[in-house]
Amino acid sequence: MRRAIREADPQLSRFDPLPRIICFDDFDRGMCGWTQLVGNYEDSLDAMLPGYAQHSHAMLSTLPNWDFGSHGGVDGSYALKIATRPKKGAQNVAIKRLTFRKPGPIRLEAYFTFKPEATDLQLSETDIRSFGFLYDLQIGDSSGPGDRVMPHLRFLNAQDGQHLQKWQFKRKTTPIKPIGNAGKTITHYHLAPDDWEDLPGGEQRLCYNEIPTKVNWHYLRFDFDLASMQATRFQVNDRVFAMDGFDSIRIPAMKNLWCMLNLAFFAETDTDKRAFAYLDSVCLSGEF
Amino acid sequence: MLPENLTAVVARNESWTGTSASEPYEAGWAKEAIVFVRALKEPKGSLPKARIEISADGMHWCHEGSEFALPTTKDAVTFQRLGHFGNFVRIAATLPDGAEITVLVTLHLKA
Repeated sequence: MRRAIREADPQLSRFDPLPRIICFDDFDRGMCGWTQLVGNYEDSLDAMLPGYAQHSHAMLSTLPNWDFGSHGGVDGSYALKIATRPKKGAQNVAIKRLTFRKPGPIRLEAYFTFKPEATDLQLSETDIRSFGFLYDLQIGDSSGPGDRVMPHLRFLNAQDGQHLQKWQFKRKTTPIKPIGNAGKTITHYHLAPDDWEDLPGGEQRLCYNEIPTKVNWHYLRFDFDLASMQATRFQVNDRVFAMDGFDSIRIPAMKNLWCMLNLAFFAETDTDKRAFAYLDSVCLSGEF
Repeated sequence: MLPENLTAVVARNESWTGTSASEPYEAGWAKEAIVFVRALKEPKGSLPKARIEISADGMHWCHEGSEFALPTTKDAVTFQRLGHFGNFVRIAATLPDGAEITVLVTLHLKA
């Protein structure tokens, strides 16, 4: 019955959620709680690490193009757009901040696409360095001791003009630095360009169209168990990747982040040209 | 349903010198906007007026016609009301030599 109702709903039937839908973000209803990832600071914004200082606000986008107009989303007019600045290596992130109520399995599903800003009349398939996503998680305050766990996955599309097309993960963040004098704030930049590792068997050729304004939407699914803090399955389009070789960034649990369930998507450019990542829609579900 | 309403910080702690602009922001869904500019530090030199620029594609820009003063002291705020801006919008200014302002630029968009 549950399945029949879901499959009769044109929006939900393209997802395979776990029994409880935590959020179902169709950006035709606004930003749905997706916001800018701002870095930590104390007293002055100058204290913010440069990686975070570059971040700006995501947009509600119709994927407009100079040559054929609005592309639109998978369903409806709008998608969430994450745009970098026009500088090689620039990144931007959109984040949704939640907490969880049971440390059990969760499933992230999304339709995504990416493209460079169409400043050249060329395919520009190597102008985007990466598109990716991450969780920022921490166990409940009564479940400790434990870690803050940050699973990261990115599709390394290109680097220095080479079209690489492979999924990567990350186990290391930058050293944790204190900010200010109050002893309340620390920071680290977990999206630093170093320390990405290839996901074994993670090579994948994605669909990209012949000019820099056309896009095709891709399906993504990532299953994670909040009890064991392990990834259990990762799928993009028709490919399911073995996750035996995957691990997350793990740092000591922090005194203020109990039951945190943050979810973020990011884009990174490989040239002095803006990278655009788009999402439509995002479905987060859990078994509880 | 209540109409969509969004506060987007489009430039935060950015120091503007010479010809500067906020990053392109896509806001075709909004019927109206207010742009706020706050100086986060004491501005230097003689400040020009800021201008609103609009664009069909986020790459080719037109002066929309609105101009407004930049804040002349730390934490002062100036604003400009906007309607009929189509899709992409940004705030630009051309500062003379020696002038500098560190800005917080906020777009308040309403469907």
